[in-house]
Amino acid sequence: MTQPIQPRLTQVFHFVRHSYADGVAELVYAFDHGEELIERVRFPAPPALTPERKHAFDAALKLLHLIAGISYYKAGVPPKLEVADGPLDDATADLLEALYLHGLAEFAYRNGLDLRGRIAFPRSGEPSGKVEAPVLHLPKRTLVPIGGGKDSLVAAEAIKQMGADAAAVWVGNSPLIAACAERTGLPTLNIQRELAPGLFELNRLGAWNGHIPVTAVNSAILAVAAVLYGYDSIAFANERSASAATLEYEGQQVNHQWSKGFTFERLLSDWLHTHVAADLDYCSLLRPYSELAITRAFSKLAPYFGVFSSCNRNFKILGPKPADRWCGQCPKCHFVFLALAPFLPKPRLLAIFGRNVLDDESQAAGFDALLEYHDHKPFECVGEGAEARAAMYALSQRPEWQEDALVARFRSEILPQLDASRLALEPWLQPAGEHRVPARLHAALAAIG
Amino acid sequence: MKFGGTSVATLPRWQNIRELVASRRTEGARVLVVVSALTGITDALKHMCGQEDKGKRIEAYKAIAQRHYDLLDHMQLPVPDTLAARLRDLSTLAEDGPAALGELAWAALIQAHGELMSSALGASFLTHSALTTQWVDARECLAAIALPNQNERTKLLSAMVEAKPDAALNARLAQLGEVFITQGFIAREAQGRTVLLGRGGSDTSASYFGALLKAQRVEIWTDVAGMFTANPRQVPGARLLQKLDYEEAQEIASTGAKVLHPRCLSPLREPRVPMLIKDTNRPELDGTVIGPEVREHAPSVKAISARKGLTLVSMESVGMWQQVGFLADVFAQFKQHGLSVDLISSAETNVTVSLDPTENLLDSDAVAALASDLAKVCRVKVIAPCAAITMVGRGMRSMLHTLSGVLAEFGQLRVHLISQSSNNLNLTFVVDESVVDELIPRLHEMLIAAGALRTDDSALFGSSWQSLYGSGETVVAADAWWRSECRDHLLALGAQATPRYVYHLPTTRKQARELKSLTSVDRLHYAVKANTHPAILRALAEEGYGFECVSPGELKAVMAAVPESAPLLFTPNFAPREDYAWAFTTRATVSLDSLYPLEHWGDVFRGREIVLRVDLGRGLGHHEKVRTGGSGSKFGLPADQIDAFLRLADAHGVTVRGLHAHLGSGILDVKHWGEVYSQLASLAERIGSVTFLDIGGGLGVPSHPGEARLDIAALDDVLRKVKAAYPHYKLWMEPGRYLVADAGVLLTRVTQQKGKGSWRYLGVDTGMNSLIRPALYDAWHEIVNLTRLDEPATALYQVVGPICESGDVIGSDRRLPEAQEGDVVLIAQAGAYGKVMSSPYNLRDEAQEIILE
Repeated sequence: MTQPIQPRLTQVFHFVRHSYADGVAELVYAFDHGEELIERVRFPAPPALTPERKHAFDAALKLLHLIAGISYYKAGVPPKLEVADGPLDDATADLLEALYLHGLAEFAYRNGLDLRGRIAFPRSGEPSGKVEAPVLHLPKRTLVPIGGGKDSLVAAEAIKQMGADAAAVWVGNSPLIAACAERTGLPTLNIQRELAPGLFELNRLGAWNGHIPVTAVNSAILAVAAVLYGYDSIAFANERSASAATLEYEGQQVNHQWSKGFTFERLLSDWLHTHVAADLDYCSLLRPYSELAITRAFSKLAPYFGVFSSCNRNFKILGPKPADRWCGQCPKCHFVFLALAPFLPKPRLLAIFGRNVLDDESQAAGFDALLEYHDHKPFECVGEGAEARAAMYALSQRPEWQEDALVARFRSEILPQLDASRLALEPWLQPAGEHRVPARLHAALAAIG
Repeated sequence: MKFGGTSVATLPRWQNIRELVASRRTEGARVLVVVSALTGITDALKHMCGQEDKGKRIEAYKAIAQRHYDLLDHMQLPVPDTLAARLRDLSTLAEDGPAALGELAWAALIQAHGELMSSALGASFLTHSALTTQWVDARECLAAIALPNQNERTKLLSAMVEAKPDAALNARLAQLGEVFITQGFIAREAQGRTVLLGRGGSDTSASYFGALLKAQRVEIWTDVAGMFTANPRQVPGARLLQKLDYEEAQEIASTGAKVLHPRCLSPLREPRVPMLIKDTNRPELDGTVIGPEVREHAPSVKAISARKGLTLVSMESVGMWQQVGFLADVFAQFKQHGLSVDLISSAETNVTVSLDPTENLLDSDAVAALASDLAKVCRVKVIAPCAAITMVGRGMRSMLHTLSGVLAEFGQLRVHLISQSSNNLNLTFVVDESVVDELIPRLHEMLIAAGALRTDDSALFGSSWQSLYGSGETVVAADAWWRSECRDHLLALGAQATPRYVYHLPTTRKQARELKSLTSVDRLHYAVKANTHPAILRALAEEGYGFECVSPGELKAVMAAVPESAPLLFTPNFAPREDYAWAFTTRATVSLDSLYPLEHWGDVFRGREIVLRVDLGRGLGHHEKVRTGGSGSKFGLPADQIDAFLRLADAHGVTVRGLHAHLGSGILDVKHWGEVYSQLASLAERIGSVTFLDIGGGLGVPSHPGEARLDIAALDDVLRKVKAAYPHYKLWMEPGRYLVADAGVLLTRVTQQKGKGSWRYLGVDTGMNSLIRPALYDAWHEIVNLTRLDEPATALYQVVGPICESGDVIGSDRRLPEAQEGDVVLIAQAGAYGKVMSSPYNLRDEAQEIILE
């Protein structure tokens, strides 16, 4: 047996090998000369791989290997990266370096690390633009990832509404997501991901730990799935403000959800077009929309009210009562409650959450953070804070809400410090900004707004 | 005797009715049976009234007739003439339509046929079963009265009858025979038209007849044995109420209990006719007797109930003070927006009303529109979702002092409205709905534990719903070891010397093995603070338990008693620096629950592995006030300081190996540990080094007879589910009281007695010096006179000790046999927090400890 490794003192992170057989992809990594870390991704009822898709599949699988490595790399953050099957072309290396740097920015911030200049994938020097992927004539149908929250349900309903062929897909075994996917009425596809057990051991040995860009890993898994099962598009539900940085730290932008942002969408989408299949689209249906536009769309989807949850704390445990799905304390609960409030009858909203968090003074600090009040930074015009302020302002003008503790507090304490002319709800409901939704799905895009 | 729709719908049920009527006959009573229509028939008749098309009405008639033919077929009886006549009438009514009689009168007459037919059928069946039965037309006995506030609809469809004892009717029936059958739900008004009695009508009919005939009693035969102390679906441990007075029963019926319609009690009140509710399927069960006020017992809360889904609208304005018509204007708005108002509470400048949860309320903008209109005249606040919790009991105000714990529970909640009726029967709190599901069972427990709901008074309270109807195995407490198996031995021990603690090791072993059946728990530690007797420590070590200690003294005691292989935990709170330093010289795993030790004594911990005890605080909602969780408690590191703790730990090379939370004690709701577990697991995922989660103890031990025990199988289920979501953590628990409470008793002897007013004091030779739990926690311990265990419990005693403190009361209002000096009295469940908390106060001799192997 090898010596127990001290993760934080490791020197090299190896992308050892990857393979696929019978629906199971094996992704193998190692630190220094340590034991192999083997992650497995299981694709249910896998069809046989046709020869014309073989090349595309291998490219997607290789990318998955490189992207999923981020969960393991972060345990030690060693200075050197080695890829066993040879160096990468510039486009691939650029994508991965951007992902590892920005996707781990919050992790680095929380652990007091600076990753700038530390992440360098081996490069072959082959410039971008040299690689061309063929058109594979993938079937015109869409993978819609379901997350259990409102966003992916809005996307799924929009696709259903335009009558497009689609499947509800999710990675992992959350019963909440399974319930939501079931409720969409779409065919379902549940892919399992098993982290290498060795990772838990590394954690025990004092590995670095923290947030990883899980959407990037899921995206890579879905790219493999799209080629394997035959889908021409992957339609995520990442909204406009996901692109905004959460904070800036020593000159670096830190975005908690970087892999849900437009930069990553563009990088991955271009890479798939050039390296996997010219007709495989990767996009976000909600990209032009604000959170408020999305909650408004969701407020019309009553069948999901009893199953969905955006709460992170209650994610793994599922029950029939509102309190089983909504903790009512976390920023997610606060935001979704506030953003839905302008669009639903008050008693209905309260029935969804089982409580009125806006009439609970002990939640004041949470809402202050959401509104960016008393916070270290000045009010900004973009992102959750501005939308939250617009929603709160709308409620403050409504008699059925305005006496609730936190709405009343907003009126008396916070509102006088704001420019009311910039608090209107309506501008948030207009689509704006870039997106990469392919023409085939434009009707779904329009259905949301 | 009244039987509902399901009780008259099949042959076997009619055979059952026959048996019950016959049994009353053998008691020498004359019997009047009141029946509802066959199940579904009233709805079918109502539906028929709604049909405008004659053809469809006739079709409906045929289906209804067929139901009765089928049942008669089954009874192998021909269609009796009385029923044939009813069917002809009904067919004519269907044919003719409402024109001649008027819509409402026609509908009332049609619906009345359900009962007219079922009773005719019943008369035939009973008579053919050798129980000659006279058919009586209820309309000839029950005369509806006109009330000033009635319109044509309420006059015909929910009529009232003034039922005064009627000797003439009694005499008339007496001439006809011994057994009668009549209809529920119907009566006749002054113009001779048939009228209905509205919801709960058949029960009300039975009451009217009971009053008219000044019956011996009215029996309501239904599908449950009576009224319970709470809704059994919410509180499986709810107890059958064996005796209630009219007002209490009416209050319970109107605040939630579905078994009886509240209006059916008032006719019986004046003639003082008792009502008995019985289960048709289980006639052997006691049932609920409702009668005139019952005096001979201590006041008690009788029931607790909840109504959910309320929306409150609170309106505040000085404009309403002494202003004529303000409220009229306000209430007009509710009517205009189609919202129905239920509860109302008002003060000089505030009126708060509750709205029922209708579709209109939930899915339209009615509330927003209402609020906009009301906002023009007052400040409006819409509060939802709410629930009304009501406690019912005669003389509620005189019980307030016993409710302090219960009221403190409400003190932790947002109470939107409190009402206490002038009839002194109820106390209602409107609170947030989210707390209700868990609050009701807990309040029920607390009412029992506080002695406000006197389940120990067997004259008032019967068995629990769980034990009567519960599915699966009913968790019946085994006969206590001291009651039979060891009684003689204990009497001998008590005769030698008292006070004495006696510990029964087989009971501790049994409890220990039961917890070992929790398959998902990887390690169990005994929280030794409950009882540090070396024999108990050794027994638990033999069962494979580890030991949780909170002081160097406990650690030393444990290390002296148990083998080196037994794992040790050191879980102190506000301990001095040297305690930690010393603990690290032992094999104990040390836990921390504040920043201070790492901030100031970092060198003591450098390079060590520790357990972090966290306070999940509000994260567990209602559990925050339970003793050891929440900001009001000194235990645990608040969740918002965890990041700071981890930075300190990192700085000193300290590894957080485990997370621990312990939120309270005496918890019987298994979901609690699942919540603690999942919250700890989600915290642990942020801390890579954690390998185990310690979810503490607090496993409840019920103290009252018949109370449901903690359901270990259900707990196992909950834990397994959470563990499946977080398989990579080991799970630890640390039970204390659960292992030893039942294993120990305190023996004492009767010294003197004293009467004071209506109170009787029974003195025993030890008290709070030996067992402080009753004084400190208001704990309830079962107390028995072991010498006279088999004698009838006729006296009501306050059992007190010899300590010069007015709080030295071991048990109040205890029903015990008449005692004599020298009787050996046993105080049960004294194995935990008994001897370890005793004191030399008053310099009375300390209790000895004796072990039974």
